Amino acid sequence: MDGFSYVDIFATKHIEYLLVIGFLLLFIPFWRLLNRPAKAIFEAAERIIPAISEWFRLPEGRYYHLGHSWAIPEGHQTVKVGIDDFAQKLVGKINGVQIPAPGSTLHQGDKGWTLKVESKTIDMLSPVGGKVVAINEEVLRSPETLNQDPYNNWLMEVETPKFAVDKRQLLSGSLARKWMEEVRESLLSRMNYNLGLVYQDGGLLVDGMARHLDREKWDEIVKDYFLVAEG
Amino acid sequence: MNRRKFLKVLGGGIVGGGIAGAALGNIVIPKKLKAEGPAAAKEFVGILVDTTRCVGCRACEEACAQANHMPEPDISDSSVFEKRRDTTVTQLTVVNRFETSKGEVFVKKQCMHCNQPGCVAACLVKAMEKRKEGPVTWEKNCMGCRYCMPSCPFDIPKFEYHSANPKIQKCSLCWDRLEKGEVPACVEACPENALTFGPRRKMIEEGNSRIYRNPGDYITHIYGEHEVGGTGYLYLSKVPFEQIGFRTDLGTTAYPEYSKGFLYSVPLVLLLWPAFLIGMHTLTKREEEKRAKGGAR
Amino acid sequence: MKATATAGQIKNLRDFWVFLRSELKPKGKIFTPFNVISLPIILLGGALIVYRLVKGLGAVTNLSQEFPWGIWIGFDVMVGVAFAGGAYILTFVVYILRSEKYHPVVRATVLNGFLAYVFYAGAILLDLGRWWNIINPVIGNKFGVNSVLFLVSWHFLLYMISLFIEFSPAVAEWLGFKRVRKILASLTVGAVIFGIALSTLHQSGLGALFLMAKDKIHPLWYTQFIPVLFFTSSIFAGLSMVIFEGSISHKVFSHQIDQKHQKSFNQIVIGLGKACAGALFVYFFMKVLIFIHGKHWAYLATPMGYWYLVELFGLVLLPCVLFLRGVRFENLSVIRVAAILSMLGIIINRLNISVIAYKWYVPWSQRYFPSWMEIVITMAIILAEVWVFRWIVNRMPVIQESPEWAREEKTHEESVTIRKEVPQWTVSAT
Repeated sequence: MDGFSYVDIFATKHIEYLLVIGFLLLFIPFWRLLNRPAKAIFEAAERIIPAISEWFRLPEGRYYHLGHSWAIPEGHQTVKVGIDDFAQKLVGKINGVQIPAPGSTLHQGDKGWTLKVESKTIDMLSPVGGKVVAINEEVLRSPETLNQDPYNNWLMEVETPKFAVDKRQLLSGSLARKWMEEVRESLLSRMNYNLGLVYQDGGLLVDGMARHLDREKWDEIVKDYFLVAEG
Repeated sequence: MNRRKFLKVLGGGIVGGGIAGAALGNIVIPKKLKAEGPAAAKEFVGILVDTTRCVGCRACEEACAQANHMPEPDISDSSVFEKRRDTTVTQLTVVNRFETSKGEVFVKKQCMHCNQPGCVAACLVKAMEKRKEGPVTWEKNCMGCRYCMPSCPFDIPKFEYHSANPKIQKCSLCWDRLEKGEVPACVEACPENALTFGPRRKMIEEGNSRIYRNPGDYITHIYGEHEVGGTGYLYLSKVPFEQIGFRTDLGTTAYPEYSKGFLYSVPLVLLLWPAFLIGMHTLTKREEEKRAKGGAR
Repeated sequence: MKATATAGQIKNLRDFWVFLRSELKPKGKIFTPFNVISLPIILLGGALIVYRLVKGLGAVTNLSQEFPWGIWIGFDVMVGVAFAGGAYILTFVVYILRSEKYHPVVRATVLNGFLAYVFYAGAILLDLGRWWNIINPVIGNKFGVNSVLFLVSWHFLLYMISLFIEFSPAVAEWLGFKRVRKILASLTVGAVIFGIALSTLHQSGLGALFLMAKDKIHPLWYTQFIPVLFFTSSIFAGLSMVIFEGSISHKVFSHQIDQKHQKSFNQIVIGLGKACAGALFVYFFMKVLIFIHGKHWAYLATPMGYWYLVELFGLVLLPCVLFLRGVRFENLSVIRVAAILSMLGIIINRLNISVIAYKWYVPWSQRYFPSWMEIVITMAIILAEVWVFRWIVNRMPVIQESPEWAREEKTHEESVTIRKEVPQWTVSAT
């Protein structure tokens, strides 16, 4: 600046502001892109778990517990309970199931029933509290029906006078879908270390996803998801 | 004691006392500087370099080497002018020759003794010091970090890389001589009156008056009046200063101003960051506790 | 593999001496390829250092009056400190934001940071012409508070102490000093907070050193915002180094890590990759903003301009995109390549400001190139640091688990521990 001719010291201010606005507009989609796993991973995974657009079915009209069980109102003050699609896919072929006898009392969030898979037993949490009024004999005789159709093969019918209260701890509708998305993502991230293992055809549906993640300690993974992990 | 002895002792005492007094006087009481007592006025001194008068005799180089106990250059050898020279660890001032649109011009180069020196701002042990009388001097408590070197707009400080006890070498405006009341060696040696020494204020007045009294003989600019905030050495020229080896893009901001902003943000960060961090630490604690309580049973 | 239980009870100096002597024995194969190559370099470097002390800087370096600072400053100090930035970021994430996810790597990163500062402060000592006077700015003989370098050197000193305090619980665990460990652990958060404030200032301070070289650094690199750029780039520099060094340590010390941590490490790398992508994205925009502000587009069509574009697009934007891709596809190899590229970008950027774009107008014949001796000494310092790192990791609980008694203490101290890796969600009341 010589002091004899005009110099605009703020000449670039317009462009700078535009740049900053551009940055802000770009940063948010950038950050969201960064935090969402790529479509390619879903596509690769869908080749493994065939057929359905969503990984794990989550029918409307039910109430889901974070431990992967569901409850559906049946008659007046009773609900039927069962395990969800994710649970049966995670453990694979169910060899047996232990259900409390009619007349037993259940508490929401406490042990509800036990699955027998391979040689191990896995507890699951009860989605509701109340008195067991009926059990499904079919499922006791043929536990593999739980794998075939986890939603139409109920485990117990429970009398729940306080279902309105219990419902608050359960998920449904969009919340349940969101929860299942997060579960799916968490499983995806575990699977990626062993993507090689998971690319075996067929075996997945029989062995269950957990066994493909960790041959030895698959029950620990399952217990983690079912919220019954020790310690 | 007899009279002879008494007179001897008295005489010895007077002489001894005189010597002691003189010695003491030199150390404790700095004498007034002769040239119009600029140091006594506590304003900066300056040197006006009139390049229209310099003939390239290099007497200043020789005198400088003598005053600083350096090897004296052979000033009769004019082949040195074939290349552009810079000051070195043994030559604190050099004269360069430039071919310009108005003929040969000789320019003396040395430390500019800036008003606000970059080297002084850079020095973390205060080895580089700007005296209130004007000169910028170097002290032995230097660490040899060489930060003064990138910080000087004129690339003046020179480092003794070859030595295991290296010093920074640059013109000190003959600080020792100034303390004794003498003028800088180069000023004294110049036969053409190209160098004038005195208060900086008067040097600028002198420069301006030469410019206006001799229209057309000088470029209407004193180099160093405002460059990098003003320097102790001031230059007059008959051609534009780019032609005689000066950088004219240095701006008028004193170099220390460039780091000042950063340095003053330091206490702010040391105040704000710990406050924010402690706050965050406390807030996340409550979140953590909430999560643990509200998690699966 | 459990932590060394031999620390046991050190009751007096004699016990300590016996313990130390047993610890000094090498804990692995002696004649590995790494050892065989690195030891001669370290020894040669040591000899050259003695030579430099005796004969002066000129005998060993190619420094000149035009280029007073070479790779010992431009690379050892500036790049080394930028790479050590992982320590302040990770301690922020683990101790301030309380993320348990990154806890497994924080100790190794703090140790690396500590060693980096110690060794690179050592490198500075070598570069000082009159190193015996370094005591001056410390003991207050003549505080040059006007100097950015004063700030940087004091911060180095204080930060080394901070990092040491942050790391000291591991030393106490090694020695079996239970009460000392407790006291030291209580100091951690304070040291972390102090360390983050210090780091902010000295990372930017290293850039501020060059603010007075305004008319010597090429206009495309010189800006009054150099300190902010240095600080921002130290974020992805440090995290990239954590990815790089962590991946190597993970392999080399894999016997120390249990199954659970093996798996969680991959998630850590992905998380760090995300942070690097974000930081690089912001940094890229900052550089564009500063470029526009400086109005130096005329320089783009010059050789230095092309070099600037290589740095900006090849070593900033490209690693950003690679990180994005690697994180999205959870591809660890791509993330590692991105980390290496961004580290290369930091090296180039720091070297640009200190020696390449510095005095860019000087003809090539007079430019600075490091001498082989400078390079050997630099490599020797780096390798010596790796040796010390290895010695410590093989004996103290850095990568391996803390001893039982310390782990119990830790769960006691932390009022909450988040152990699940499944994301937490809140069930909203209907």
